[in-house]
Amino acid sequence: MSEQMTAKVDVDLAQPSILSRRNPLRYLMLLGGLAVLVLLPYWIYPPVAMDILCWGLFAISVDLLLGFTGLLSFGHAAFWGGSAYCTGLIATHWGVPFPVAVVGGAVFAMLIAWPIGYLSVRRTGIYFAMVTLAFAQMLYFIANQARDLTGGENGLQGIPRSFFGIELVEEDSFYFYYVGAAMILVGIFIAWRVVNSPFGRVLTAVRDNPARARALGYDVERFKIKAFVISAGLAGLAGGVFAISHQFASLQELMWTTSGKVVLVTVLGGIGTLWGGLVGAGVVVTLEDFLASSGFEGIGLITGSIFVLIVLLFRHGIWGTGRNVLRRYVLDRRKRARD
Amino acid sequence: MRSRTVQGTVAIAATASLALAACGSGAGGPQSGGSGKLTDDKIVIGLLNDQSGVYKDLSGPNSKTAIELAIADYKAKYGDKAVAKTIEIVTADHQNKADVANSKAQEMYDRQKADIILDVPNSAAALAVATQAANKKKLYINIGAGTTKLTGESCNKYTFHWAYNTAMLARGTAGTITKEGGTSWNIVYPDYAFGQDMNKSFTKEVTAAGGSVGQSIASPFPSDNFATFITKAGEGSPKVIGSMHAGGDLINFVKQFNQSSLKGKAQLAVGLMFITDIHSLGVDQFAGTQFTDAWYWNFDDQNKKWADRFKEKTNTRPSFAHAANYSAAMNYLEAVQEAGTDDADAVVGKLEGKKINDVFLRNGEVRKADHAVTHDVYLAKVKSSAPEEWDYEDIVKTIPAAEAYGEANPACKMG
Amino acid sequence: MSAFLQYTLQGLAAGGFYALSALGLAVIFGVLGVVNFSHGACYMLGAVISAVLLAELHVGFWVALVVVPILMFGFGVLMERLLVRWLLALDPLYNFLLTFGLTLILVEAVKQKYGVSGLPYEVPAGLGGQVSIGSVNLSVYAIFACLFSVVVCVAVGLLLTKTRIGMIVRASTEAPERTRALGINVGRWVTPVFGFGIALAGLAGVLAAPTRAITAEMGSNFIIILFAVVVIGGLGSILGAVVAGFLVGLVEAYGIAYAPTYAQIVIFVLMALVVLVRPSGLFGREEVA
Repeated sequence: MSEQMTAKVDVDLAQPSILSRRNPLRYLMLLGGLAVLVLLPYWIYPPVAMDILCWGLFAISVDLLLGFTGLLSFGHAAFWGGSAYCTGLIATHWGVPFPVAVVGGAVFAMLIAWPIGYLSVRRTGIYFAMVTLAFAQMLYFIANQARDLTGGENGLQGIPRSFFGIELVEEDSFYFYYVGAAMILVGIFIAWRVVNSPFGRVLTAVRDNPARARALGYDVERFKIKAFVISAGLAGLAGGVFAISHQFASLQELMWTTSGKVVLVTVLGGIGTLWGGLVGAGVVVTLEDFLASSGFEGIGLITGSIFVLIVLLFRHGIWGTGRNVLRRYVLDRRKRARD
Repeated sequence: MRSRTVQGTVAIAATASLALAACGSGAGGPQSGGSGKLTDDKIVIGLLNDQSGVYKDLSGPNSKTAIELAIADYKAKYGDKAVAKTIEIVTADHQNKADVANSKAQEMYDRQKADIILDVPNSAAALAVATQAANKKKLYINIGAGTTKLTGESCNKYTFHWAYNTAMLARGTAGTITKEGGTSWNIVYPDYAFGQDMNKSFTKEVTAAGGSVGQSIASPFPSDNFATFITKAGEGSPKVIGSMHAGGDLINFVKQFNQSSLKGKAQLAVGLMFITDIHSLGVDQFAGTQFTDAWYWNFDDQNKKWADRFKEKTNTRPSFAHAANYSAAMNYLEAVQEAGTDDADAVVGKLEGKKINDVFLRNGEVRKADHAVTHDVYLAKVKSSAPEEWDYEDIVKTIPAAEAYGEANPACKMG
Repeated sequence: MSAFLQYTLQGLAAGGFYALSALGLAVIFGVLGVVNFSHGACYMLGAVISAVLLAELHVGFWVALVVVPILMFGFGVLMERLLVRWLLALDPLYNFLLTFGLTLILVEAVKQKYGVSGLPYEVPAGLGGQVSIGSVNLSVYAIFACLFSVVVCVAVGLLLTKTRIGMIVRASTEAPERTRALGINVGRWVTPVFGFGIALAGLAGVLAAPTRAITAEMGSNFIIILFAVVVIGGLGSILGAVVAGFLVGLVEAYGIAYAPTYAQIVIFVLMALVVLVRPSGLFGREEVA
């Protein structure tokens, strides 16, 4: 605890990976991850498995901002929910195959993210969190008002899941999972590319020392807006798949509690770890699913306590803590080998 | 695990039980030729509702008790002749989230082998489950939600709406109060789909009954501060002020109405109110308020007797939703008994058009055209003081089923 | 014209209440740099405790007005000592997240203990009914709540500007290092100030009890509006919180009166405009956050 107290910001992205690019362990982990992805709907009820992936990508999109740009968005529900509605409307009215509708939803999320981002990045830190929260709330009220389009609190129901007439995917959530998972994977790949690109490195520089980044000639605000829009697009992709998976979009998707939940998932998984989002989503979604059927009435007590404990004691999250343990082990071994 | 596998097991189980069908035919199912034609040899009733949020007191966990009473009554009634020997209840908390309701409903139908899902308050959740019921071709009786879409645009063969809907509330309250002299109205409604519907229905019914609505005022939802709306609602000195709010908003509105100068000058009519609302705010705050109730526990001896049984198990009095859950579960089991099977299509066939009189439904009918369950409802007035806990309502008038429910919903295309 | 006056007065009445509620948020942020997400939950606790005191111990409104803030002060002290303190050295985001988690716990705990339908509470004797000033009608309680809020806001303002304690607190906010250099123990004031902020939230809760639905969720939307208020006023600025509180109250009342459909959006549009034109808020210093 005291060791952590000294650090101002607890994100430890800056540390280089201990595994070199060629290290077989990297590929083994990637392979293991893909295997889990494929086997998930055998272990878990397929719609729930789909939820895990959607929330996972949603959390990754938040982490892209929080962990890699240093901006805590507390209004990401706007993009997840905005895309859910837009995806639903496209699928309902134009009858296009759902991947097209989802892409449409993601583009819509990016379009609304631009003005919101433009205004919000004028402030940093906690101010940014509050401003994004307020904008998301604004969108919530708009969606509630535009009930001819959104169905108000009844939600947008019966969104079709058309997929080139392939009935297995359209009707069986088990097969749908694989198509949805492929789309989520594309999103994860984009996030990974962004983080490991020159652009991503500038973002990290902006996070760690905005003044220096500015001195080096980078337009800090523009980089932030770009990151914000990309992040919104990924959140939109996740929200679109979520809407198609459930075949509806409801106001719940735009509520501030959704923004809060995704931050919980991100922090639980580990800020600045990218992959942590998937792990966090796995834990939170299965836990909620379990609690809903358990007869236990105080779900908020559990999620709230997890939040408090994570923030107080395990700020690196599940992935971060695991990585640190591994790193310590590997470094120890190397040191011993040297001695 | 997957739905096809499920269907496979179901088919095997069905064949097996057919082969094993040795019991004599049940008294209720003479034409079925045999009992025990149940998938997995049991009936599973899924109770999907809000066990932790705003509807917890209205139905929530105590609805399970109501369903258990129905199962006990069914078993007592048919004894050895019961088609359903084993009846299980599975429950889930949808937390008022439509996505949770949606996943849980699928899981109940697919994995927990639920033959029917009951309750589901919250309109977004209710409509999502209706879609799943149609997809999975399994029964669904909604009780907790009020949206007319369930028996309108979103109606389907497997979905029934048992207790109440917004149109019924409007006919009951607006029509009756206007006919009894409350001819000039101002309405304040929350600005979301439910409030809009209620406002439209109330205005229509007030006008139809010979009254007039001076102003309809939209208030944002949710809202804490109604001072401005109450001031506006008093303009033109109407005889009745209609509040279409629900839940916390309703309590806010009534509290602030009571502090205003309108208290005593205009009568307060409420669009949607539950006995749990009166319980929470206190009977004196609502005193004199009129509203339509689908059922009241202290209405007659039959209701009282059932309410006593309910109280023994839960230590509280039942809301209309509890009684409706009982009634829905009981009538579902009766329909299974009659059909001799839990096959959804057969059970739907037995339910459609059925006329029912039980502790909840008086002059009840399962309307074939839109699957609304019509029955007598009651115009209630809140007492000025409660003789005992939960004894809050005077029933001013019984509104006959035909008057309360009107014609079948034309938006419903049963397919 | 009289209608306009009516809405103005009602807006001011609501504004006083917003000002008082936002004040605690601003005080805590000013001294600790913590955005207390659980401010709405503490407001809710204040109202719930008043209702429970009334129902179980027959303790009335006037006593609650004194007792509840004291209890909430104790709660705030505990919260600071046990939880918030450990994260003060870190990025303020962590305390934002911590108090968010705490909000979930508090709301759920109240739901479990006192149900979801809400608790009854009555207007204290003597404050019921309405007064008419010309053609304008206002409820007596709304006037009382507004005046009371203004008195508290002014008192807090005087406390901070005219007393030694206030001077130390302000100095610790603006220049903690220099204050420390002058031999003042800045850390000593952190806990009481946090408790004080929470007590103000509780006080707002007591004031809300007679006129609003007392439910576990009553603070959930309220906190979002309060965030808008402090963003408009400038985070950490006490004058800003009060002025913005009244401004939001007025804007809301006019919105309700003349464009009810957009009443809720108007507040956020106002916030967006302020962020666009004056990012640090109306009374905020440049880059507090």
